[in-house]
Amino acid sequence: MSIQTPAPAPITATGTQPRNHDGQAIAITVFSTIKLWGRVFLPVLFFVTRRIPKLTGTLRQLSFIHFARWTVIGKLPYNGPPQKKGRFRYPHMYFESNFNGGWEEYIDAFSHILTDGMTAFWGSSYGFPKPLPTAPFKRYIQDNETEADHYYCAYPEATSTMIQRSLELDKKLVALKRDARRMDPDAFAAAYRRFLTDAQNAL
Amino acid sequence: MASVQIDLGDIQGDILRAYGNDYDNTTYAFVKIECPPEQARAWFHGVVDHVTTAETWPPGEKPLTTLNVAVTAPGLRALGVSEDVVGSFSREFRAGMSSRSELLGDVGPSDPNSWEPGLGTGDAHVLLTINAKQAADHQRALGKMKEAMDAVGGLRIVYQEDTELLPGAREHFGYSDGFAQPAIEGASDDKARGGGVPLKDGKWRALAAGEFILGYPDEDTRVDPKKRLPNAPAAPLGRSGTYMVWRKLYQDIALWRRVMRDAAKLYEGGDEHLLSAKVVGRWTNGAPLVKYPDEEPRGYDPKTAEDVNDFRYDGDVDGMRCPLGAHIRRSNPRDALAAVAGPKGVIGFDGHLSFRHRMIRRGMPYGRVLPEGVTEDDGVDRGLVFVSFQGSISRQFEGVQVQWLNAGNIFGLGHDKDFLLGDPHGTGKMTIQGKPPFFLAPQEVFVRTRGGEYLFVPGMTALAALADGTAG
Ligand code: HEM
Repeated sequence: MSIQTPAPAPITATGTQPRNHDGQAIAITVFSTIKLWGRVFLPVLFFVTRRIPKLTGTLRQLSFIHFARWTVIGKLPYNGPPQKKGRFRYPHMYFESNFNGGWEEYIDAFSHILTDGMTAFWGSSYGFPKPLPTAPFKRYIQDNETEADHYYCAYPEATSTMIQRSLELDKKLVALKRDARRMDPDAFAAAYRRFLTDAQNAL
Repeated sequence: MASVQIDLGDIQGDILRAYGNDYDNTTYAFVKIECPPEQARAWFHGVVDHVTTAETWPPGEKPLTTLNVAVTAPGLRALGVSEDVVGSFSREFRAGMSSRSELLGDVGPSDPNSWEPGLGTGDAHVLLTINAKQAADHQRALGKMKEAMDAVGGLRIVYQEDTELLPGAREHFGYSDGFAQPAIEGASDDKARGGGVPLKDGKWRALAAGEFILGYPDEDTRVDPKKRLPNAPAAPLGRSGTYMVWRKLYQDIALWRRVMRDAAKLYEGGDEHLLSAKVVGRWTNGAPLVKYPDEEPRGYDPKTAEDVNDFRYDGDVDGMRCPLGAHIRRSNPRDALAAVAGPKGVIGFDGHLSFRHRMIRRGMPYGRVLPEGVTEDDGVDRGLVFVSFQGSISRQFEGVQVQWLNAGNIFGLGHDKDFLLGDPHGTGKMTIQGKPPFFLAPQEVFVRTRGGEYLFVPGMTALAALADGTAG
């Protein structure tokens, strides 16, 4: 069999600034200023969501989202002049996420599926318009989004779904290879078909 | 919202409701304006007088021919519309289809450099669409159109496509086409089941009119306490208009037949008919595979069958009936996106990830049918003139083309593209889920883009303003 050169991966990382994507992946970085009550509320929210993973199950079911991370920050690490030392007057929310697909579709998923979660995480930020309707929410994110200076992705042509599936496939393939040594041709044919059936959504 | 009254008299025809299959002949003529705007508007005035609207005709009074008008961004300028007003149109419309070729996958054999002359170059200004019941009426209407242009002068048809309905409203691959359409509030509420948004507990609802007709509430307005309307061009152009996508898609029928014939030799029971249906997601007569997975039901008529669109994918999360990569499942995944089968049933998101990516399709096949059984190309140009109407080209048409047809990730299909449309790089495949699955490979280029334009279809008031030079 000849080895084919892989075709260029499709263009799917749409709707964002050029420096925010690498291959199939998009990075999003959003800063927002938090109202005083958020200072009390957000740490509790973070604590609870970490303790009860079920609360973020939906987020994890959306496999095109690699991760989403919310952090409250009071100051920036000091990098030397001209940066001024000291804390912010208000704490800020630092939101980072990596995902596959288009920027619009990603925010739509937040608006329509993670509606309550978005309100919980961003509700204490100044100017937050609610996740629905989507148009003002998108404008809000855009207004507070910072373009990355440099975004790097180790496997730019792969998506997180593809990587997850490949890992599943690998396990099954290793098992098949291991067991195959003890099989006669008929048994192998049957095992191979079982493997295909079992692993078809990773092939 | 349910009480939205649509002003049918202000909307051009064939958008909200199809004119119907009794119009067998359709001509698309792209006109370039080579004269000053005042002169062009004199001609435009005459055209506008004959435009058919969305109002229904009394029984028996359907006209012999219909006329509709759309404009490109260069067309707006040629009619004298100011840069400010042109700037109020969407970015992708202003950029034009050919400038988005890489995004759309119009590369290799579909590259705009090899498109039909007159398309994708900025020369196509005004699109006249003429429908006719009979060839003779059609010729008469075309004659009148040309006379009117010659009378004014400085107007030239840079590209013309004459199309004709194929027997049984089929497209060239042999599939019944065009009946799956979005259900729209105030226009086609009765089609909500299957045509609308899949909701919890098996319910459906029609889509807000503004998803397709500007100046009306859209799905975002529905959840907006302030009831803001979707982005639209500056008044009066923004009211009752819609964005139109026009694409000439060549179909290589001989290649399709050879590939499916050869692949079927390896497929269970050698069933080519089933294998091809798996690629589309429907049998040739339109019956959906989710409902009829094993056999094509006899005497099925997609125009009258109750269940032709009334289905979801929640009973088929793994694609055993209708493959995950079937054309209709990709182009309108309904409730299938990110749904997973768990021990307690399917956990999905109903239509939440798909409902904002719907489009009205009004395509027409062009070119002579390749006689049945022929598997060598006869050199005839044939395919589909793909036409879609939507409130946002980027969200609706491009979203579907880019994220769902040209890429497979959202369906868990890696980089596999829609098999029916093909892959210019020939490295893709299609998995036909089964026990065991079947792999259709290599993926050929069955469909090539031969040209296309992004257009705007103004409402009647807007057309009059364009003709009068009062559109701003
Ligand atoms: C030559 C190219 C194409 C052919 C032969 C073709 C053929 C078909 C056929 C046979 C159907 C099923 C009949 C029906 O549902 O009305 C269909 C449905 C559909 N197609 Fe295509 N198609 C083509 C290109 C495209 C493109 C480029 C798009 C969008 C970018 C598209 C979007 C759709 C949609 C949205 C549906 C309806 C699915 C549903 O609502 O269930 N098609 N097509």
